[in-house]
Order: sequence, then C-alpha cells, then structure tokens
Amino acid sequence: MDNNKNLEENLSALFDGELDSSEIQNVLESVSERKDLQKKLSNYGLISSALNQDNPNEVFVDHNRNKLNYNFWLSNGFTAAASILITLFFINQAELSRMGEDYSAKNKLDLAINSEEAKNIVNMTENNLVDHVMSVINNPDFMNTTPYSIDLKNVGFTRQPNNQRIFMRGNENFTLRIEKKDLGLKKVRNWKHGNKTIYLVPLADGRVLTIYGNIDTQSALAVANTIN
Amino acid sequence: MNKNVLNEDSLLINKAQNGDEGAFNFLMTKYYPRVYASLYSFTKSKEDSEDIAQQTFVKVWQQINSFRGESALFTWIYRIAINLAKNYVASSAYKKQKVNISSDSVEIDFPSYENPENSLMHLESLNGIKSYVNQLPESLRTAFTLREVDGKSYEEIANITNTPIGTVRSRIFRAREGVLEYIAKEL
Repeated sequence: MDNNKNLEENLSALFDGELDSSEIQNVLESVSERKDLQKKLSNYGLISSALNQDNPNEVFVDHNRNKLNYNFWLSNGFTAAASILITLFFINQAELSRMGEDYSAKNKLDLAINSEEAKNIVNMTENNLVDHVMSVINNPDFMNTTPYSIDLKNVGFTRQPNNQRIFMRGNENFTLRIEKKDLGLKKVRNWKHGNKTIYLVPLADGRVLTIYGNIDTQSALAVANTIN
Repeated sequence: MNKNVLNEDSLLINKAQNGDEGAFNFLMTKYYPRVYASLYSFTKSKEDSEDIAQQTFVKVWQQINSFRGESALFTWIYRIAINLAKNYVASSAYKKQKVNISSDSVEIDFPSYENPENSLMHLESLNGIKSYVNQLPESLRTAFTLREVDGKSYEEIANITNTPIGTVRSRIFRAREGVLEYIAKEL
C-alpha cells in the first residue's frame, strides 16, 4: 500500500477511534495541512450521519415539546449573539492569521481551557465585544457619530453628499466610530453581518476604531492605518 | 451504542482537553454533520441549524474539560446542542434579532476545515448513501454496517466475521472509499 493510501486508511481508523496512539499525531498533522483529507474526513462524518440519521420524532423525546414555539424555528431567523460568539471564535482566528496578526485571542482560548480564572477573563472581554457589536448592528444612532474631522481622501474615500457621516469609494461605503476605551481588544477583529462587515481596530493610542459597512478587509486596514 | 466503543474518541478528547486544536477540529468535523442533521430534523431551517450547530461546537470547545467520558462524546455534544436550541428559542437576543435585523444573515467561516454544511445542502440525498451501502460487496457491507450502524469495535467485528483486525480495518476503509466515490458521482 502506498503512503497516501496508508495515511487515508489511518484517517478512517482514527475516525473510528481505532488508530494506535503512536500514529494519531501524524494523521492530525496531515489533516491540518491537507484540504483533501479535511474533505474526506468531513465526508466520513456525512456518511456516518446518513447511516445514523436520527428519527425526527425522537429528537426531543425527553423534553417538553409544547414549551417550544415552532414558528420561531420555521421563520428563518437567527441569534446574533450566538453568531457573534461563533464569529469571535472562528472568523477571528482565520482572518487574523491571514493578516499576520498575533495569536493572543487564540492563546486566550487555549488558556481558557485550563483555567477557570482565565476563562472568566476571556468571557469578560468577549462579552464587552459582543455588547459592542450588538450595538453596532442594532442601534442606528450608535454608528451615526463619524467624526467630521477625519479626512480619508488619501485612501480614496470621500463623504457621501447626502450623509456626511458615510464615507464612500465606488461600491464601498462605511461609517466609523472611535471609542476611548480599549474594550480589551488586542488586535484587529471582524464580524460579518449580511453584506456588511464590522471591523474593530485597536489604535496606537489605546482607543478602538469601529468600521461598519460594505468594505473589504484591505480597505478597512488602509482606513485604520490612515487614522492611526 | 456498544459499550466498548462508548469512548472511541478518548484519545482525541484527551488531546483536545490539553489544548490540541487539531484534535478538536477533527472531532468537530467528525460530528458536525450528525449534530447538524439532528438539529435540521427539528428546525427544518438550514440557517438555524447551522447557527446552533456551530454555537454548539464553541460551547464544546469551551467546556471540553468538563467531559468525563461517562457517555459517548456525541451524546454529550447532542445534549449541549439541544439545550442551546431550547435557550436559542427563549433568548432575548433572538427576539431582538427578530425585531431589528431578521432579514439579514451572518456569514460564518471555519478556520481551516471546509464547512461540512455545504455537503449537507444535499441532506435529502442521504438516503441514496444508505441505498449504495446496501449494494456494497457483502464482506465490505458487513464490516462497515457493523461499525457504523451497530457501533461495534474492530475487535468485535473481527470476532463476528472471523477475520483479522487488519482485514476489518481495510474493509471498512474500502467501504468508505466506495461511498465517497458514489457521493462524488451522484450527489
């Protein structure tokens, strides 16, 4: 058997929890590096799901179904807070690793695994950020505070004629806000909301810049650098 | 579930509990489709199922140290998913979201693994997988279904089928490869 087939068979065995402990690390490292193995693993899970598909009637067999409002579930809605929590965890690490930022948030999460105290600290930081992002999304007045003193012409953004709070360049447009408190933020983070993105950027003087709108990462960083 | 494979993930769980993200990602990818499918069977909503499933894994990551191995990992994850689903419906954030930004959506990216949800868009086609498995050669089908459906360990399957464990392992792998080919062609 060639090495690749052997690796794939090891992946299958690890999926079943039947791989020798001495071989696990090699498989994990290979999976983390290879998209084809990730896809294979994902499909193994899919196959397992197909063969073990739960009977819908049994899903809530131990719970009082009458307490749940099924209309909620069928309304295509979602929980912003839940999504934000997910975003804090997933998008942050992906985006920032691409931007070459540090891994402090990731390390915080690692610490949180082993330390209740650290977990509480992380949760406090995350709660602050969740509150902030929720305000950006839910409160139109919150972002209606773009300082008039900021000039972004050097990066191609001008103010929208009918609303001077909004910067625009081609199809991109955004509002911004500057916090005097640091929110516990140590590096650039972003959240996607519909076709808009919320960027939080720690500035050199300890303040935090919020950029919200239809703007890509590179443009947002250019804006942040200008303000910084 | 067979007791011998109750904690089939114990080695990966130990690694995840020690902060090994690769091990956690492996487990996440392994169980995401089942968690998603369970939630989907209840919510009938792709977006809701996706949100709750992913929130579930954040919770699992945060609380993995509290998993004591007294149940199968999937059972533990499933309980978290169900509790989150209940909280989700009752949460004020959900109601707020409904009022203010219900027409919008949140895009969520996984850090390194392909989002299995893409495959799950073809949830209705999963029955095709079951049909395909039934058409596998008898030796592969037996080993594979004993493992996947009956939850038998490789050793138990080896005893049942009177074949070496290495052969069992190989047959299960070949069965999976066959199903993957079917998925690539048909789904």
